[in-house]
Amino acid sequence: MPELTLDRITKHFKNKIAVDHVSISLQDGVYGFLGANGAGKTTLLRMICQVLKPTAGEIRYNGIPINKLDGDYRYILGYLPQDFGYYPDFTARRYLEYLAACKALPPDLLKEKVQEMLRLTGLEGDQRSKIKTFSGGMLRRLGIAQALLNDPGILVLDEPTSGLDPKERIRFRNIVSSLSKGRIIILSTHIVSDIEFIADEILLMKQGRIIEQGTTAKVTESMHGKVWEYLADQDEALRMNDTFAISNLKNEGDKVRLRLVSDTCPCKGAVPVSPGLEDVYLYHFEEVSEHVEHLERRTL
Amino acid sequence: MTRHTHASPHHRPADQTGKPPINIPASEWRFPINEEKKAKSLAVIYQEASLKQLRYYPTFLEHIWNQMRFQPLTHWLTLGSLLLSAMLLALRFRLKSGGAPEMLTACSVFFVFAGNICLSQIARLFSCHMAELEQTLYLNLRQMVCIRMLEAGIANLIILTVILGITGETNPLGIGTSLIYMLAPFLWSNILYLHMLTCLRNTGSGLFSYALGLLCGIAALFPVLWESAYRPEYLTIWKCLTIAGVFLLAAEIVNLLGRIDCEDTAIILSR
Repeated sequence: MPELTLDRITKHFKNKIAVDHVSISLQDGVYGFLGANGAGKTTLLRMICQVLKPTAGEIRYNGIPINKLDGDYRYILGYLPQDFGYYPDFTARRYLEYLAACKALPPDLLKEKVQEMLRLTGLEGDQRSKIKTFSGGMLRRLGIAQALLNDPGILVLDEPTSGLDPKERIRFRNIVSSLSKGRIIILSTHIVSDIEFIADEILLMKQGRIIEQGTTAKVTESMHGKVWEYLADQDEALRMNDTFAISNLKNEGDKVRLRLVSDTCPCKGAVPVSPGLEDVYLYHFEEVSEHVEHLERRTL
Repeated sequence: MTRHTHASPHHRPADQTGKPPINIPASEWRFPINEEKKAKSLAVIYQEASLKQLRYYPTFLEHIWNQMRFQPLTHWLTLGSLLLSAMLLALRFRLKSGGAPEMLTACSVFFVFAGNICLSQIARLFSCHMAELEQTLYLNLRQMVCIRMLEAGIANLIILTVILGITGETNPLGIGTSLIYMLAPFLWSNILYLHMLTCLRNTGSGLFSYALGLLCGIAALFPVLWESAYRPEYLTIWKCLTIAGVFLLAAEIVNLLGRIDCEDTAIILSR
């Protein structure tokens, strides 16, 4: 079974610590890194992909440091960066063929594999179109296609669903789930629903450290007794919105049903409910983030 | 009713004639091995096994071919135009049989521009946010840069050979001296170009690279402003400049590759 070990990985940018002594061991399965913007997810993923060198610590694949494996490590690596790069004048097919050649795919397999990836990501009809004409969603799908070209043993996807519409997100989740057997898939996101159902393990990152790690059930278990529901009138709801972390808000007639995250009972009449991953996120990352904005847009 | 028994080869049961079983040692019971046939069969197996590749490792030439075949058509048209222009320029001076300084200035300026245009293909690797992704491929960014430099070097060598070869007979200074006069501005312009490429963080695509190349090429125009630049007494200075240029260019290339490998250039340049 392949194993990727991160041993006390640290990354400094001048005086700022982006990743702080992260030690984890990843075996085959889907790992979801969840954290607010600036938590250090992208930096950690870039170090896993050899784009950045750690200031301290070591990354090993099956016990061998990845810098020693060099090309052999990159041979089994698939990476979708957050800022996905492409040559705008290339067609989708030519772009994938170029990357497949750089990934050392055998020439007799190359065209077949490119076609397979175009089909998998639904870009078959646009394979002759220049990439500069692609929409954000199509670009993201092209990025996913290139990451999967070499049938990678380690697949690293940084914010893979940004720019995808709900249908494409579901499609992406299904692709990732179907690929999870026999390989290590690392996903980084700040959108909880992206990983809630497909990740075998959730890793919560905050200020460069992993603050919690485990299955969705295990991570949410720690939140028992900290999530509450309360039916409030409009004025009370506004007041509580300023005081507590609200994970959901639903209008019911002239009243508002609030879902709150609080260590103690927020008010008389509030009832404890079973926590979800969004509640865990809100508990740990109270600062305004894209996720919260996303929640706000959805609920208000 | 037939009764089936599992007999050991060492202890055969009595046959129907009622004769007692014969005990034969295992070593004698086996057929003798035909060593010649065995060696032939093994050789065939070894040959078949050697042809079976569990993993594909492209050769260096395949990597070069892969880099070349995905270059845009404009790149090949540019290279073709440069070669044609070099021929026409050299032919013009051969037919005109004008003064050496005029020819040297024109050819060295042309050579510098041609060199920078060839080198601009390296900048393409750093454009459009591609550097980060390319750094994670089997053939990574550093190796790609090396291949592009090699390609640019070969193209420059061809252009230089064409210029010196055509003008050679009519050139009063001789090929060796002309080579030094042409190499010095070329090397220094390339150093400047590569340095600016890493320091100024190339953000654009083609146009920016070409503009940068043109700017660096202007440095080669100084003999136009200084008429006595090609006088024999200054040849030693030219030689020193060429030798220093070779070492500095090598250092600049090592620095560029080192920054890609050790620092976070892939990130910086892809921004």
